[in-house]
Amino acid sequence: MLYDLRRADIRIKWLVTGLLATLGLSYVFGAVMVALYAGFTPQRVAATYAGPEMSMTMPPETTVVVQRPMAMTDFAKPEVHTVDTGLLIQDTHVHVPMYGLIAAALSVVVAGLSLSRRWALGLIGLLFAAPWLDFAGMWLTKFASPRFAIVTLAGGWAMGVAYLIVAALAVHQMWLSRERS
Amino acid sequence: MSFLIRAAAIAALLHITPVVVLVKRPDAVRALLPGADAYVAREVHLSAADAHRLHESVDWSPEDGVLVFYGGMAGSTSMGALEFVRVDTPHGPIEVAVGFTPQGAVRGVVVTKATVEMKPWVLEAVAAGFTDQYRGLKPGGAAPAGSAAIAGRAGNLAAYVAGEVDKGVARALAAYGAFYNHVRT
Repeated sequence: MLYDLRRADIRIKWLVTGLLATLGLSYVFGAVMVALYAGFTPQRVAATYAGPEMSMTMPPETTVVVQRPMAMTDFAKPEVHTVDTGLLIQDTHVHVPMYGLIAAALSVVVAGLSLSRRWALGLIGLLFAAPWLDFAGMWLTKFASPRFAIVTLAGGWAMGVAYLIVAALAVHQMWLSRERS
Repeated sequence: MSFLIRAAAIAALLHITPVVVLVKRPDAVRALLPGADAYVAREVHLSAADAHRLHESVDWSPEDGVLVFYGGMAGSTSMGALEFVRVDTPHGPIEVAVGFTPQGAVRGVVVTKATVEMKPWVLEAVAAGFTDQYRGLKPGGAAPAGSAAIAGRAGNLAAYVAGEVDKGVARALAAYGAFYNHVRT
């Protein structure tokens, strides 16, 4: 195969390394953002995406008041960040094309790795399946059942794992492998 | 032409920046209910008729039809109450805390949340002193006019965001006037 990252020109290796480092940085901050706004447990993801839209309360016949004591610490409790349908449409519109481009860029790296055809196809499939799982989980959590939060978590972890596999293989084959030119 | 305007509005709505906390809620509570050492949350679940009345009055419906007031006490003395009101703008939401004295006048207003885009506008408006204009306002009295007060002294965007805060204060006044002390528990 003409395109082999182990024997590629140093400029190509440098480009791929820069791409992987940049994507890695964005993934690290992506994880921090998930931790801040949604969390890494099915319960927190479900609370973020299922939200109050899952239950429709009817107004009482007459206005009623409920009082409860509060401590100052109650005001400091973190509020649950919720994503309503409008915001989820926006997120899908903004993120999915970018995820597609990232998966495509990493797939181009995979195509230059010394891997069996089956492994390469599997890895490329994983790179594209991960964002699909991520967003399918969000929509299913909102409209089908909060239990689908696990699908979003699986998608997010799959994205991270796929990136790490590609990055580790690429760095090893480009810069550390004995077979490199 | 109208298609272009609508497309521009949709494009703006689709690219709302994240919300940031400008003032933490406990700090807003301390500022607006000074001296209070005990608090009570008073949740007013509005009937359809009352929700409609409030909507007609200030073009606003609280989330899930529930108004939440926070009362502050120092011993057995009331220190007043406050509300957190959200205002949705084309640039994203802002949250305004409006504090009332025990006599029912506005003690102060604090902008607690805004989007990243609006944060500098809010800071400029606050620096121009627009929140001072709200002190002493009472339900049924003069309309909030923070935006008009800084129109000549601050930029257009600061005046714009002050106008959005005006809406939040008007909502808080209407809700407080109609429902804080007039519904039995």
